[in-house]
Parts: sequence; structure tokens; C-alpha cells
Amino acid sequence: MSERVQQALAVFEKSLDRRLLAALEVCARCGICAESCHVFAAEPDFRNAPAAKAEAVRRFYRRVHDPIGRLFPWWVGAKDLSEADLEELAEIAFGACTLCRRCTMNCPMGVDTALIMRAARAMLTAVGKAPEMLTQLADAAIAREENLEFFREFYIDQIRELERELQEQTGDPDARIPVEKAGAEILYVALSGAHTILPAAVLFHAVGADWTLSLFEAANYGYFLADLQRAKAIARRIVDEARRLGVKEIILAECGHAYTVLRWEAPNWFDDFPFRVRSIIEAAAEWIQQGRLPLDPSANPEPVTYHDSCNLGRNGGLLEEPRIILRAVVQDFREMSPNRAENFCCGGGAGLVAVPEWYEKRMRAGRRKVEQIRQTGARIVVASCDNCRLQLGDLSEYYGLGVRVSGLMDLVVNAYLAARRMKATAPVAPTWVHAVEPA
Amino acid sequence: MEMKPDLTLDLKGLLCPMPVVKINQAIKNVPIGGIIEAYATDPGVMADIPAWCRSTGNELVTIEKQDKVIRFVVRRLK
Ligand code: SF4
Ligand code: SF4
Repeated sequence: MSERVQQALAVFEKSLDRRLLAALEVCARCGICAESCHVFAAEPDFRNAPAAKAEAVRRFYRRVHDPIGRLFPWWVGAKDLSEADLEELAEIAFGACTLCRRCTMNCPMGVDTALIMRAARAMLTAVGKAPEMLTQLADAAIAREENLEFFREFYIDQIRELERELQEQTGDPDARIPVEKAGAEILYVALSGAHTILPAAVLFHAVGADWTLSLFEAANYGYFLADLQRAKAIARRIVDEARRLGVKEIILAECGHAYTVLRWEAPNWFDDFPFRVRSIIEAAAEWIQQGRLPLDPSANPEPVTYHDSCNLGRNGGLLEEPRIILRAVVQDFREMSPNRAENFCCGGGAGLVAVPEWYEKRMRAGRRKVEQIRQTGARIVVASCDNCRLQLGDLSEYYGLGVRVSGLMDLVVNAYLAARRMKATAPVAPTWVHAVEPA
Repeated sequence: MEMKPDLTLDLKGLLCPMPVVKINQAIKNVPIGGIIEAYATDPGVMADIPAWCRSTGNELVTIEKQDKVIRFVVRRLK
């Protein structure tokens, strides 16, 4: 057994907690999960079935942990892990599973195949078999903190320019995008890009929020690698910043895995975590329900459908909030079928969109999603996650769907600015301006 | 004076993490010591490209704003 295989197995052994043991032990091989997986639904090859993917791990698990597997491996399909198996496992755990957990929801035994795939990702990352791009993006995020002094000035300079756009959009020359504001109530953590900063800034301005923009981005590629050390290092930058500024709440940009990391995982990683974490989706839904945002849905007249990101919806519980928002800001909202917790993954999750050599793979995996979108007849597909947005944009191009992909907050801002314009020109508030009674 | 680039990339309109992904792909197509010049519009690159250079051991020759476009030059060192 090579040193690399030994090291991989040692990492795997360490990750064997009760949840993982249950996932490895209880599969009844009924095959029900197959149809629930978007990868299988797009390409019905038995190797794409969740249970078959998990089998690549169970084989070497049984070789060590099953008494029969130790004595008569052929009897129970047990097998020693080899170097070649590591290559195959990387294709499966990183390339053929987006950790979406739709199979888990549909498994009568509740087998968490995604957890098994995460354990595989962890051991592969430890022995250098993870996709290079994911590793580089995780390391670059860590380097961003180490290099803070270098980029701070550039970054703030960029933010000042965005501030000018904010002032134009809001018509308020005093509108600000505060950075490193000590004592602010909210630390807003955007993604690396203006598209997640400006719409949020407009909405914070609209409700008069006391906020400050994080110097760091919400994305966490360490989490996709299932590398706890890297994932924590990336999350720690934000947690430290929130502590340093003394904020009460962290609000996250529209991002699926960042929500999983900071809302659900990070509070267990750090002892001192004295703030609430919400997605901007939750905050916006609340502002709408409180009647704090005047909205004119006629600003978004085209048919719109919503793609539930797996991390936000099925795994994060944000199922109704996006719908509260959409019903208030667009004229023609159409559900995909299935939706909410049963929605299909777009096929680009868990880091797949960032791995260029898997482009064809993810285009194939997105076929079921393309059918779902087509059936709605929508012209705009909303996704509250940059990973999903990239994948949906690529799918639209690849399959000639001709849809525009948008974030949720972009549509909220359209409706808000239209309502403001109308208010500014009309002597009396028009009756069609949407206002929801406080909840 | 700056050297002539071996490759020029148009990354305008691309959102995170695509500028980094594209640079990572492109750097393999220039020889060690070779230069890539790129143009992007997303402000995230101001932070992401220096961080990527640092973590991969490549050299960031320059990064500058030219009106709404960000120009940067990277030299392959590995
Ligand atoms: S994972 Fe669940 S649904 Fe799939 S084969 Fe095993 S028991 Fe059946
Ligand atoms: S987690 Fe999602 S992608 Fe992975 S096997 Fe299950 S359904 Fe398929």
C-alpha cells in the first residue's frame, strides 16, 4: 500500500463519526435514490446512482470494518484502496456529486450520501487529489487576509466608485458604502463582485440600516474541499472582522454555500460567536413584510421562475422567504416543478462551476434543470447563489434556453427604484404600489 | 518599460471566480517567465488576483485602474 493511500485512509478513519458510520452502514441497496439524483436523471447509467457512488467508499470501508470483508473480501464486495481508486474517487466525489442531498431526502433510510462524498473529498484533498482550481481559490482567499494591507487601498478605492453609482441610483449625494465602520449593527459580507454589493447597498439605504461592508468575500472554497482547516481559516477572517467591529449581525450576500458555512457550521467552529447570521434574502423578506420597502412589481413584467439553491433551500431552510419577495416584486411568478426542498440541483454546485475541465460534465448534469425551466415558459430565472447563476447562464447558452439569469436582490431593487420614481412624480401614492402589512 | 505580453485576456464582464479560473487556465499556456496581460471589470479582481498570485507563487507585475476597466499583468514564475 503506497504512502499516499495510507495517508488517505488515515484521514478517512479520522472522519468516521456516528453520522458517517450510519450513512455507510444502513444502505438497503433498494435503488430508490437513483431517480432523485440529477446526475442520474440526466444520464441513467447505474454508476451515476447515489448508492453506486457511495459504493466506491463502502468498498474500502468494508475491507477494514466488516468482519467478513476482512476475511473474505470478495464475498461482500470489499476491496483494498489503491492509487487508481483515488483517481476514480476524485472523479466521483468532486465531479459526479454536487453534495445536494436530494437523494438523502428521498431515501427511505435517510442515507446521507453527500456526507460520504464529503468524507471522500476530505481524504482526497489531504493527499493532493482535489481539483487544483478549488485548492487555489481556497488558498487565494486565505492569502487575501495575509495580504490585507496590499489590497485594502485598492479595494476601498473601488468601493468609493460604487458609492458614486449608489448615489446616482438613490438620488442621495450622502449615500455611503461604509467599510470597517466600528460599532455598526450589521456586517454585510458580499461576494467578490459589484453585483452583490450595489443592490444590497441600495436596500440598506432604503431601510436606513446601520451597516458596514466586509473586506472579505463570503465564498468558502475550503468547504467544497471538505478541508476543515482551510474552511475555518476562510470563515475566521469574517468572524474576526465582525468581532473587531462589534457588530450584532452578519448579513450574507446571495450565496448558497456561504450560508451553509456561516449560518450552520461556523457557530460550532468558534467559541466566541456573539452575532446572528442571516442571508440578505431573510432580511429583505422581513423588510417587505414590515412594509418598509415601497415596491412596484410592474418594473419586472416578464415571467420569472425561481431556482431553489440546494444550500439555501433543501439544506438551509430558506424556502418561503424568496417567494415572499418574488410575489411582491414581479408580476408573473411561476414555480418550477418540483420546487422548494424537492428542487433539482442545477448541476454546478459544490465547486463544479469552477473546474474548467468539467464543463461538459456539468452541462450534462444540468439537463433535468433545463427541462424544469423550459416547462415554466419563464424569461428570467432567479437564483440566489452565484454558483447556480453561473451554471444556469452556461446552461441557457449551451441548450439555447434564451433565459436571463438574475439575482433576487436585482429584482427587488428594480421594483423599489420604480416605486420611488413613481412616488416622486405622483402627487398621491398610486394604489398599485405594493405594500405588505406588517407581519 | 513593460515587456510585450505572451497572451492578452479579455475578462471583462466575468464575475467571481471566473477571472481567477481563466488566469489559472491561461498561465499554463505561457512559458515560465512569460507574461499575461488581462483586462477585467469586476472590482473583486483587485483583491483576488494579488491573492491568487501570492498563493500560487506567480508575480503580479502590475494592477491598475483605467477608467472602468482594471488592467493587470502577471508573470509566470512556476
Ligand atoms: S441510499 Fe437509500 S435509497 Fe439509495 S439504495 Fe441505499 S437505502 Fe436505497
Ligand atoms: S448528493 Fe445530490 S449529486 Fe450527490 S448523489 Fe445525492 S442527489 Fe446525486
